[in-house]
Amino acid sequence: MALTLLRGMRTPVSLRSNTGLFFNVLRPRLSHFTTRAESAQATEPKAVPKSIQLATKEAAEQNTQGFEAIIGIETHVQLSTVTKAFCSCPYDYGSQPNSTVCPTCMGHPGTLPVLNERVVECAVKLGLALNCEISMTSKFDRKQYFYPDLPKGYQISQFDIPIAKKGYVDLDLPVEFGGGHRKFGITRVHMEEDAGKLLHSESGSYSQVDLNRAGVPLLEIVSEPDMRTGIEAAEYGAELQRIVRYLGVSNGNMQEGSLRCDVNVSVRPVGQSEFGTKVEIKNMNSFSEINRAIDYEISRQIMLHKEGQADQIVQETRLWDESSQKTFTMRKKEGLVNYRYFPEPDLPEVVLTTDYIDEISKSMPELPEAKRRRYENMGLSMQDVLFLANDDNVAHFFDSTLEYGADAKLACNWIMSDIAAYLKNEKLSIHETKLTPLELSELIASIKNGTISGKIGKEILFELIAKGGTVKGVIEEKDLVQIADPAAIEAMVDKVIADNPKQLEEYRAGKTKLQGFFAGQVMKASKGKANPVLLNKILGEKLNAK
Amino acid sequence: MTAMLSAAAAIPRLRLVTRPAARLPSARSNWLRPLSSATHVTPPAAAAGAGSLEPPDLHRLANAARISLTLQEVEEFEPKIRQVIDLFGQLQAVDLESIEPSLRAGTATGSSLREDKPETFVNRDAIVEAIPSYDDPYIKVPRVLNKE
Ligand SMILES: [Zn+2]
Repeated sequence: MALTLLRGMRTPVSLRSNTGLFFNVLRPRLSHFTTRAESAQATEPKAVPKSIQLATKEAAEQNTQGFEAIIGIETHVQLSTVTKAFCSCPYDYGSQPNSTVCPTCMGHPGTLPVLNERVVECAVKLGLALNCEISMTSKFDRKQYFYPDLPKGYQISQFDIPIAKKGYVDLDLPVEFGGGHRKFGITRVHMEEDAGKLLHSESGSYSQVDLNRAGVPLLEIVSEPDMRTGIEAAEYGAELQRIVRYLGVSNGNMQEGSLRCDVNVSVRPVGQSEFGTKVEIKNMNSFSEINRAIDYEISRQIMLHKEGQADQIVQETRLWDESSQKTFTMRKKEGLVNYRYFPEPDLPEVVLTTDYIDEISKSMPELPEAKRRRYENMGLSMQDVLFLANDDNVAHFFDSTLEYGADAKLACNWIMSDIAAYLKNEKLSIHETKLTPLELSELIASIKNGTISGKIGKEILFELIAKGGTVKGVIEEKDLVQIADPAAIEAMVDKVIADNPKQLEEYRAGKTKLQGFFAGQVMKASKGKANPVLLNKILGEKLNAK
Repeated sequence: MTAMLSAAAAIPRLRLVTRPAARLPSARSNWLRPLSSATHVTPPAAAAGAGSLEPPDLHRLANAARISLTLQEVEEFEPKIRQVIDLFGQLQAVDLESIEPSLRAGTATGSSLREDKPETFVNRDAIVEAIPSYDDPYIKVPRVLNKE
């Protein structure tokens, strides 16, 4: 896997239309289909129109008939350590080019790599989170190839003895994609270093290299070829993103390249045991792009099979082009590249102790899968469960709110509706607002015990989320306590009825819909504070008392 | 001599690392399997252990290392590199039946890890100066397109 080759390059793609027509029929632009995780902010979970889902499903069924796709994914996760993997250079995304470099990461002769202990810790954490066997002893190897962004002429990686192997990941497909639980195998997790960034000059007559990223620690996660559809693959990626964020080992940001997925897709007739020719797809910058790129590629390959042109499916790397919604040949693979791996002589083996692993096990947070099962057991709907567990900040906020005694379903409703809408508008993450879990629980309690109405509750929420403060404070300051005194409500009802004799006449003549008008007037008179149940009860009695 | 089985291909096989399975006689004989059926003179020490490793293919090696050699240089280096390979041939002949395989030659004692504490390299100017072609703030390299 020459994973470093493409990084940071924007290769001009020839816009040859090969199977374009076919694709357009199969799939309309689905750019609003977002598999969750991605943004750390809350997203609206109910945004997918039903009709498009159905169209997609039908199209997919029609076109995969008789064939199945085999998908495996290699994911690179950039670790959020302070320093690089083998030298003490700090790494900050967006630093001045070639500013955080030293002789070690620039590959000068005579330098010695020394492994960052945090890298091992992150690898063990992720290995455990992915239910892997952890190698008590592993080692580094040199993977050799020549490229200008690789100063040493080799990448320090792990070849035959990765730090973790034979794991699996559990996930739930989004409800809008039909739902369902899946378990995908993890072949291995290994530690390695990143390469630099290669850019192309305006004139194109030369290229430019920034070595700030050279030597930054990565974990490569190789999946088993267990996925069958674009959405399964996208969800697998999204789950890895959730896991690394829950663990705090990486920011998992795809736009910055902190999480990169290279996907292998092949297609074979159902019932055939050997795999078809494997095509690699790169250049996907979001999970929804992964989803669409894979489904496009599957369709392209099935089409070739059906047309008797299966021999045109060749082992190659294709790039996803977002603007045309297609994959294009980047390079054909000429046999296997020989990386001439050999053990890294400058680094000792990585030896772990059971104490060390136990210590890390104990420090592990609750992971997304465990959270989802716990939320499910609370009786929340799968839609709610997936929304809450998608972002660990949201999940943490929710859990804290419950710790203050709030009802799970009510807390979930507030978070998923008004709070989520606010976060989306303001492009904020839940922990960046002024609302605290304690105040949300207070708010829920104040509505439940009748101190305020639900309507006032919303007002208070927006006050708290934008300006902070306490529920009690806002209620007192704005005099928002619900009016639940029947006598006080009766007085207001009497006044409104007396002020609107014409409407009263019409009501009594049979236009009973006018009760809403009266209720509105009373509510207005009470500044929204009248207890609505009591109000309607008293109003009904008065209106009907001839 | 087939060019396929060059020294370049042979070098990674000479790792000291063996998986436990390699201790089994069957695996061992596989490990020591001659790399080609070609017959050639083997050094006496290696002969006993079937250590007849393929002689180096200098053109392939040079290509893999991205260096160009003149024909004269090839002739000059060939016997030297062959000597190195023959040394490995001798190593292959050593009886390891009762030896526990190890991942590395030599074991470091104590922690060999480093704390995740940043330290900015102070002499950055010297590094930049050593860059053959620098176009502030980038390192300038020949144009690269999609080539492996
Ligand atoms: Zn460095």
